[in-house]
Amino acid sequence: MEKIIEGQNIHFSYDGVEVIKGVNLSIAQGTIVGLLGANGVGKSTLLKVLTGILSTKHGKILYKSRELKYLPKREMSKRIAYVPQSPTFGFPFTVSEIIKMGRAPYLGRFEFENDRDNEIAFQAMETVGITHLQDRLVSEISGGEKQLASFARALAQEPELMVLDEPATFLDVKHKTEILRLLLKLKKERNISIIAATHDVFSSLFFFDRLIILKDGEILAEGTCDQVLTDDTLSKAYNIGVTVRREDGKIFVFPAETNRELAPTLR
Amino acid sequence: MQARKKLIFSLSSLVLLWILISLASIFIGTYDINPIRAILSGNELAKTIYFKIRIPRILMASIAGGTLALAGAGLQALFRNPLASPFTLGVSGGASLGALLAIRIGLANGILGFSAVSVFSFLFSIFTIFFVYSISKLRGVVATGRLLLAGVVVNFFYSAIILFLQFFSDLTQPLQTMRWIMGSLDIVGFDTVWKTLFFVIPGCLILLSMTKDMNLYSLGDDVASSLGVNVNMMEKKIYFATSLAASAVISVTGPIGFVGLIIPHILRMILGVDNRIIIPCSFLLGASFLTAMDTISRTIISPVEIPVGIITAAFGGGFFLWLLMKTKKEVIV
Repeated sequence: MEKIIEGQNIHFSYDGVEVIKGVNLSIAQGTIVGLLGANGVGKSTLLKVLTGILSTKHGKILYKSRELKYLPKREMSKRIAYVPQSPTFGFPFTVSEIIKMGRAPYLGRFEFENDRDNEIAFQAMETVGITHLQDRLVSEISGGEKQLASFARALAQEPELMVLDEPATFLDVKHKTEILRLLLKLKKERNISIIAATHDVFSSLFFFDRLIILKDGEILAEGTCDQVLTDDTLSKAYNIGVTVRREDGKIFVFPAETNRELAPTLR
Repeated sequence: MQARKKLIFSLSSLVLLWILISLASIFIGTYDINPIRAILSGNELAKTIYFKIRIPRILMASIAGGTLALAGAGLQALFRNPLASPFTLGVSGGASLGALLAIRIGLANGILGFSAVSVFSFLFSIFTIFFVYSISKLRGVVATGRLLLAGVVVNFFYSAIILFLQFFSDLTQPLQTMRWIMGSLDIVGFDTVWKTLFFVIPGCLILLSMTKDMNLYSLGDDVASSLGVNVNMMEKKIYFATSLAASAVISVTGPIGFVGLIIPHILRMILGVDNRIIIPCSFLLGASFLTAMDTISRTIISPVEIPVGIITAAFGGGFFLWLLMKTKKEVIV
């Protein structure tokens, strides 16, 4: 399968502290890849390097076989959309104003959105299911709704690749499931490729075509859910004993020290 | 309403407002003669008053008010904080200290046709801006929190020096300095207007060309960058454009506070926060506001002229408080 994005030997440091230490990875077109790992292992940094938000001196990022750093920023933003972990809006824009900002890469410096842009922005809100929020101020909506708005803004960019940093952190069970279902739909209907960093995937791992597990800035394991999700690998990844069970095609992951065993010691 | 229609509608209303206020300002004054009749009759005094004093002064008020409001709106976008203004960044402190030094040394001669006080205050505010900017840089990136703090602290530091120098000078100089710090639009002829415009126009044009990026920038550095904004470059451009324009104005008028803070706020309360609308409208409303305030300052207890800084703070502040109390919408983050 054709690769949409490929990272070769990526290194990245903040202030001389190396956070990403020689990562090689690639995402096949039209697949959903999950990026797992404990807090602070470099998931967010890696995603920012892949989108070109952070530029790295060591290593290459290839977007459809072209080096990302030679792709003009504007062109890049028509192809790759980024959704941050906790979206901020700076000023109290309305939700629909935020979604329309996703059209910015298609507009000239002094150009305003035309009817088609507005239509695309509205469709993005429809897809995500937030049309009822369109005239609300972003300062007045909940954390989960902000995340949905940020997601809709990314959709309005009409990207080929979506890079999501914990897209479901603030979402309740229903919205979380809906977003995951939406990701599958986007992949199927629009052939959008997706890479998502995620913590709370234990309930939803089967959504992903492939999983990459990151530990201390290096790839610990990579492959399909079945290949990667083993007691051994997850225990290493999270530095805590983890048990994986499979039942009816579902995967259950939980800490080996379950609450019941832990409870007496806490009492 | 669509953003474009909103912009066209608000711009045209504000242009109309500015024209009305300027016309009123031409007709109102201590010297009260119908200007058209006076000029047609060849009255030399009338000509001098209208063409050497009132019209240049209205233009100066418009340029100063517009620039300060525009600079305020630009800095607020830069800091993603509605409390930023040229004054929070130490510009006023620098300008005041520069003016004080020029008065203290007693420089009578100007440089390149600018008065020594203007040149000194311009140089000092530009220096302050560079200084504040350079200490706010962390790993080559401007940390906005540091920048705001540095600006505020530098302002305090300058006012310590100003008070110290004032304390040890003879009686006339503190008065002269005090008068400058209160701000005034008292200019004669068009000369100062053109000279100020020389610095103001490039600054304002840069800001006006970046309104779309300012919107994207409010989504945070990462998202803005992913939407195609060169964040680093943009921060620098806003910073230097506002500094250049605001310093040029303040060096002529003295620090007229408050305009840069309240004008963008009032507009956001009415029009929302889209910078493509707020930035250009800020200039027009700022121009109208300062022209109106200046007209009040020179007529309210005519023939005595109250420093315009007092009027802007009193009227503008009062109006702003009223708006704040009245508006329940959460426009201020």
